[in-house]
Amino acid sequence: MRIGSADRGPMTIGQKLWQVSWSLVLFLIILTGIGCAMLYSAGDASWDPWARRQLIRFGIGLCLMIVVAVTDIRRWLRHAYTLYFLVLGLLVAVEMKGVIGMGAQRWIDLGVVQLQPSEIMKITLVLALARFFHGASLEEIGRPTFLIIPLLLVAAPVVLVLRQPDLGTAIMLIMTAGVIFFLAGVRAWKFGLVFGAILAAMPLAWTLLHGYQKKRILTFLNPESDPLGAGYHILQSKIALGSGGVFGKGYLSGTQAHLNFLPEKQTDFIFTMLAEEFGMVGGLILLGIYAIVLIYGFAISLRVHNQFGRLVTLGITGTFFFYVFINIAMVMGLVPVVGVPLPLVSYGGTAMLSLMIGFGFIICAYIHRDVRVGRHGNGGDD
Amino acid sequence: MIGRQPFFPKKRRREPPVPPRVEAGRSRLLITGALFSAAFLVVSARLVGVTMFVEKSQPQYSRSVSKPAFVTGRANIVDRNGNLLATSLKTASLYANPRVMLDAREAVNKLANVLPELDRRALHAKLTQDRSFIWVRRHLTPRQKYEVNRLGIPGLDFRDEERRVYPSAALVSHILGHTDIDNHGLAGIERHFDRKLQSDKSPLNLSIDIRVQHAMRQELATAVREFHGIGAAGIVMDVRNGEVISMVSLPDFDPNLPADIQSDTRFNRATLGVYEMGSTFKIFNTAMALDSGIVTIRDGYDATKPIKVSRFIIRDFHAKRRWLSVPEIFMYSSNIGSVKMALEVGVTRQRAFLQKIGILHPSPVEISEIGAPLIPGRWREINAMTISFGHGLSVSPMQLVAGVGAMVNGGIYHAPTFLKKPSGSKNKGRRVISAKTSDRIRRLLRLVVAKGTGSKAAAEGFLVGGKTGTAEKVVGRRYKKKALMSSFVGAFPMNAPRYIVFAMIDEPTGTEKTFGYATGGWVAAPVVGKVISRIGPILGVKTVDESAPAIEREMAIDIITKQKGKRRLASF
Repeated sequence: MRIGSADRGPMTIGQKLWQVSWSLVLFLIILTGIGCAMLYSAGDASWDPWARRQLIRFGIGLCLMIVVAVTDIRRWLRHAYTLYFLVLGLLVAVEMKGVIGMGAQRWIDLGVVQLQPSEIMKITLVLALARFFHGASLEEIGRPTFLIIPLLLVAAPVVLVLRQPDLGTAIMLIMTAGVIFFLAGVRAWKFGLVFGAILAAMPLAWTLLHGYQKKRILTFLNPESDPLGAGYHILQSKIALGSGGVFGKGYLSGTQAHLNFLPEKQTDFIFTMLAEEFGMVGGLILLGIYAIVLIYGFAISLRVHNQFGRLVTLGITGTFFFYVFINIAMVMGLVPVVGVPLPLVSYGGTAMLSLMIGFGFIICAYIHRDVRVGRHGNGGDD
Repeated sequence: MIGRQPFFPKKRRREPPVPPRVEAGRSRLLITGALFSAAFLVVSARLVGVTMFVEKSQPQYSRSVSKPAFVTGRANIVDRNGNLLATSLKTASLYANPRVMLDAREAVNKLANVLPELDRRALHAKLTQDRSFIWVRRHLTPRQKYEVNRLGIPGLDFRDEERRVYPSAALVSHILGHTDIDNHGLAGIERHFDRKLQSDKSPLNLSIDIRVQHAMRQELATAVREFHGIGAAGIVMDVRNGEVISMVSLPDFDPNLPADIQSDTRFNRATLGVYEMGSTFKIFNTAMALDSGIVTIRDGYDATKPIKVSRFIIRDFHAKRRWLSVPEIFMYSSNIGSVKMALEVGVTRQRAFLQKIGILHPSPVEISEIGAPLIPGRWREINAMTISFGHGLSVSPMQLVAGVGAMVNGGIYHAPTFLKKPSGSKNKGRRVISAKTSDRIRRLLRLVVAKGTGSKAAAEGFLVGGKTGTAEKVVGRRYKKKALMSSFVGAFPMNAPRYIVFAMIDEPTGTEKTFGYATGGWVAAPVVGKVISRIGPILGVKTVDESAPAIEREMAIDIITKQKGKRRLASF
């Protein structure tokens, strides 16, 4: 059934809704359901203060996702840069407020809602890079000067986010951009060059890091060195994981989490709480569901025939992957504590909304997989 | 299409039919997917590792450093060092709406499985009433709440509540009091500061030191057991600012279980009970006489025979049957001498003096259990006479302690308080006697412990001073000969007093060890001595060599004795 192919003319909204990959949506709902169950437990068997609000945000996110998905992909391509610079402006605004307010300022208060522009930037950066590489030929990509603009597109938000300071988000932006660069066809030796440059710049970067960031890295290398201070998070997390065992202690019975030994149990360390209450089996099942969602991303990218849709799908899939990997690796002590939430499960409004919008773009690319997209989003061939 | 050709064909030679971009994309997609899969495998393997193989060597830290995730309504209460005395926990309480309930019997059966302590019959009766709100059970644990939720009985719901928790149980019970199930203060600090605790977020910082409180409670309880008393009271007060460091009344209760509190354990002997204090009042009598200028330390009185006033006869317990100087009257606790001193000063001055040191008004200390003193309706000569040795006027131990504080600290009265005063705050107080009189009283108090009836209170090195008090209890309208109220009020170190320590045992009986005596000197003084030797180091009081010449000079007092008509000077 190829309702939406280009040769049949534009699709109606009804046809597009029919095309939405509802099974992917089902897995997203399952993930959020697990998240709400854990937040209910984190709130000591109460819908407040977390589970109820998370559910409401998911509802809003679901609506936004559908709206994004059924909008014509060419329209998104045309507005990709506009959206990018809009969010970049918000980041600058945060920076201004941060200067006045002192300290780490990641939030912008829009009166009704508080936004974390760095979370939205993870999506808009993918859009902007996908638009840039869309229609670019391999020989263009091979020209080093051609890469100056996309590198600037990445560097601007990274610098702003680092100044907040939010190392986790900055790393995620760089890694996501790296995935897009790689899949767009940038030569492998250039990655080697950048990697070498990073290694060379490390001593300089070390001096620029904040004291707490240095401490986190040192603590990561040896958490036992400071068990009651900076190493406390990771040690408590490992104790809680170990105490869960194979099948866990049972729902609502995780003593480490409920007795507040486990810090940040509703946000960054929610995976630990899940593994304490449902054990290794529960943790592996959750990882399995994440793997399924990632496979959806790859499968959709294989079926999308336009470069923009393909790169957007892979970029967002990559973002999702880094969320999952960095968070889980962090709570198990594989990487330093950098403050990345577990997607759709951790409590957090902007992350939830931007992820749902991101999946909206993946589904949008899927719906419009056979649409021919011009170099500037004007239809027809390039 | 020219632009599509690779610029460097040597590296990327591709078959013409397949667009090179898509081909390159495919292989790179594969690499990306493989890397992602590898990362997932690493994470999964690590998860298996950390959950299945617990590192035995890993220390199990059990300290919680994160703040509670919720804010409860009622503020915490802490002691002077920040130790938690009272806090609130968030709980859920189960209620039912019987009008919505479908099958009360089934609901009762299901609930009884989850909450076995419920009384089935009573609950069924309540659930069949025509009402829309009944409590089923208050303060469930999260587990119980989940189990009840799982039963899915319509008409049941939860209300968020909080519950007051006292980690030290009975230790501070008479000071803190307790709250009812709706978290309203019913007694003690909880009641006196009810509104403040409900509105404030920051904890209420008391002047109590929980370590001192523990020492006092333990020593009092030991004494009550040893002498088969029916109760006891103890107070430690800082004489420099009126801060109450410890206050114990026995028997006490566990404020965590307000429903189980026996009514006799609620009675606070330290602030609510008022008693005829007996000889400890002679501190006030002597200070009043010396401070008035009418009596000097070199005066003396004839104590050869008892005084007869209407139907009373006033005798001495340790009768010397001779002329006694003022220090001797104090040291031997002579009633006859005290009466004669009081009479010389006069009724009006005595009353004004006691008024000044807070004896005639209820104690201002911040607690809801405050007893009003029993004072004579008409203050006649006979009243002045009995009051001089502590009878015919009943006060609470807290009033006595605050008054004695002013006698020894240089003459400044500080209102007793349960609230910690901010460090560096000025303690103004009110001058009630001269510094010189206070110095005399200090020497006299030291004399009682060094050479007199209070010797059992001597805690080596802390230079303890004090005065014993033994009063017959008034039961009904007459004195009960066998029922005593034995007390001791002490202070230390006497060269620069910092703390008043008071102990009182209610209805003690003498033992073989005390040769049958149950007086203040035998029963209460040892308690004060033991308490001081335990709390002195905690409160940072340095011990001194009591026989050092400098100390002896500070504590020396001239005693003029008159035997066979000759005056002789003896120095102690």
